[in-house]
Amino acid sequence: MKEEFLLGNGAIALGILEAGCQIMTSYPGTPSSEILPEVVRFSKAANLNTSIEWSVNEKVAFDNAFAAAISGKRAACCMKMVGLNVAADSFMSAAYIGNIGGLVIISCDDPGPHSSQTEQDSRLMARLGKVPVLDPGSPEEAREMIKVAFDLSEEFQVPVMVRPAIRVCHARQNITYGALESNLTKADFKREPSRWASTPKFRLIQHKALNEKHERISERFNTLTPFNMHTLEKGTSYPFGVVTGGVPSCVVQDMFEEYDRKDIPVLKLGAPYPFPERLADEFMDACDKVLVIEETDTLIEYMLRDKHKTLGRLTHHVPMEGELVPEKIEGVLNKALSDCGLPPLSDHDCGTEAFTLVGGLDLPIRKPTLCPGCPHRASFYSIRKALPKAIYPSDIGCYTLGSNLGVVDTVLDMGAGITMASGFWNAYIQDDVKKPIVATIGDSTFFHSGTTGLINAVYNDSRFILVILDNHVTAMTGMQPSITQGDRVDGRKGNAISLETIVKGCGINYLKVVDPYDTKTMIQTVKDAADHVNDPDGGIAVIISRHPCVIAFKDQAIPEQIKVRVSDECNDCGFCHTRFECPALIQDKENGKTEINELLCAECGVCIQICPQHAIEKA
Amino acid sequence: MKTINYVLTGLGGQGILFMTKVLATAALDKGYNILGAETHGMAQRGGSVVSHLRIGDARSSLIRAGAADFLLSMDESEAYRYLPYLKKGGKLFANAPSNQFPDERTAAYLEGQNIKTWAMEAAKTAMAMGSSKSTNLAMVAFYAAFDVGPLSAADLRMTVDKMSPGPFNRTNLKIFDACYETGKQMAMGN
Ligand code: SF4
Ligand code: SF4
Repeated sequence: MKEEFLLGNGAIALGILEAGCQIMTSYPGTPSSEILPEVVRFSKAANLNTSIEWSVNEKVAFDNAFAAAISGKRAACCMKMVGLNVAADSFMSAAYIGNIGGLVIISCDDPGPHSSQTEQDSRLMARLGKVPVLDPGSPEEAREMIKVAFDLSEEFQVPVMVRPAIRVCHARQNITYGALESNLTKADFKREPSRWASTPKFRLIQHKALNEKHERISERFNTLTPFNMHTLEKGTSYPFGVVTGGVPSCVVQDMFEEYDRKDIPVLKLGAPYPFPERLADEFMDACDKVLVIEETDTLIEYMLRDKHKTLGRLTHHVPMEGELVPEKIEGVLNKALSDCGLPPLSDHDCGTEAFTLVGGLDLPIRKPTLCPGCPHRASFYSIRKALPKAIYPSDIGCYTLGSNLGVVDTVLDMGAGITMASGFWNAYIQDDVKKPIVATIGDSTFFHSGTTGLINAVYNDSRFILVILDNHVTAMTGMQPSITQGDRVDGRKGNAISLETIVKGCGINYLKVVDPYDTKTMIQTVKDAADHVNDPDGGIAVIISRHPCVIAFKDQAIPEQIKVRVSDECNDCGFCHTRFECPALIQDKENGKTEINELLCAECGVCIQICPQHAIEKA
Repeated sequence: MKTINYVLTGLGGQGILFMTKVLATAALDKGYNILGAETHGMAQRGGSVVSHLRIGDARSSLIRAGAADFLLSMDESEAYRYLPYLKKGGKLFANAPSNQFPDERTAAYLEGQNIKTWAMEAAKTAMAMGSSKSTNLAMVAFYAAFDVGPLSAADLRMTVDKMSPGPFNRTNLKIFDACYETGKQMAMGN
């Protein structure tokens, strides 16, 4: 037996392998990103034969896992919740068709949101796709649920979702585990077109069969302890009870123990869908009022279906948005208890006084910014310099932080940098206005969702400049290898895909490659590209701005370290720290002088090129 | 055992994760269960970083505002930022000049909550002794000197010894001992 202080995502990885999962696919995204690398680590350490891949996007990951599962193997695919949107088309059909080997989808939610565009609740996607869902509250529970999910999926031949929220993924817990073994089940796909390639007529039949499965799974969920259970005493009735699941269920249970409130029964629903009707009825019948505390939306609250008894988001007892952090839950419980004429848990102000005090201290605002030496910063500087009046649609990655430099106007979803560029073009050209548009997208995002939009734009003759920020890595989510390098997650070599070939293959005739550290050349390249876009015989111009990420490839990224200093020419105009925004360029708090923070400076030397006073020089 | 709650804060790059691991490993070696919560994702070099660590049998990884027993901060501003997490009677240890900490604007609140604060220039000490990267250990040692909570100074020193790889081992232990001494002096003065 071994014991480790494991990340929740590590505990999930462990559960995946303990369940005998043979095929594992994923696309990175916070808070899910560490699951796959942890699967690699455990699999290697135990010398398992698990097949593990970073897929190009979540839909690809899903389809790969699905094919393995209908061949009889156990397969899992994981992603962040907005990634499930990308896989939604497949996901919606999967439960109808069903599977043979266990198929588990791990969709990690981000209430807060800490690192996402939305706070969407994957349990509602599960409901929409008619996929049973389990909702863990802690790393250990997530590990156990994964195993149960595989068994359920195999028994009922339906995919099962596990939905860990960020506080499970990025919690740490001491976890003990034993030996892991390879699952040697062989692939055995049995042709059955009426099932695997069913026409609408058969889909209706499959839908009926799925609904029947749901009845049976709901029945199972009534007794799925310890994931689903209540703390009612037989024959007792209560004025007030709490229905909860996932992360909030842990907070609620901790708090009731701490405040010794055995008078409040809890219904915990760690497996909320298909809804365990009988278990919920028992609880509702025993309580006059119930408060629903769930993240992030209102799945359970709607499923309870009793407007007169149920308190929650719909009665404004629980906030509609934001993470349910423990102090918030304490406040919610105190208010609901008082509303029901019961003593609150505490008279705490839930930190209000202290947070107000701290808010008044003018503490430094530490907003996220691109790293010192980041090539994106140099790209953005040049784009703005060349075409200051353009619209700048952008995309999702570290470079979204280009908004700080005023060169990111829109962020919708993966790939929208390109699709929205053509949309802007169409909107303006209808009025005979040739609006300059410079779209930016990272290399990984381009492969994920960029090509379709680019092909569409070429086909429909939209005109804009597309700058592909190629830093050889998926940096924001933790430095996953880019497919332009051809390295696979388990260290094996794959085949590198050339960005140039793909861009040309999309029908692009104008393609330039620049190094953004050379801002003079890059500015000229963007200006030339604008000429091509405006030329009646021209078209879309693509610039690949290529420079390795300074964090992932320190030595390659800055081959020649350039120490810099600020000379007497500096008039403290602030351009370098407020507009160029390098964190290593700082303004002394006392005398207002511009200085270099040598601890942070990456010695890239780019600031020498951008200072309007030419006041930054080689030291 | 009642759950003991630590909030650890600092800036990205200061080694919050390692600091958490030192405390966690020491607790694990004593046979306690542990739960922690980390910030990932957009927290970069220089950004505000916080880590929650709970020793005992808690279920939820997050510590409630007003429920932390100890706040250890490697940065002065971050110490204030996370102040609301300390409970009544909680204890705050900060990497800050002891004659300027805490800010007088917080004095009334700290007194009302009966929160005790101690500060030393842990980063400066670590840097002077050859490893600016060891501010995290310096803070652990400073905290250890006050002998509060379930982990003794000997436990923590042993863990630092175990977790410091070859070339850093001696420097880290030297820093640990020096900061422990500083803390000890303060603890006795009180
Ligand atoms: S170094 Fe240049 S850009 Fe920065 S404040 Fe001084 S004059 Fe302005
Ligand atoms: S050389 Fe200039 S631009 Fe590069 S990291 Fe240092 S201060 Fe920032």
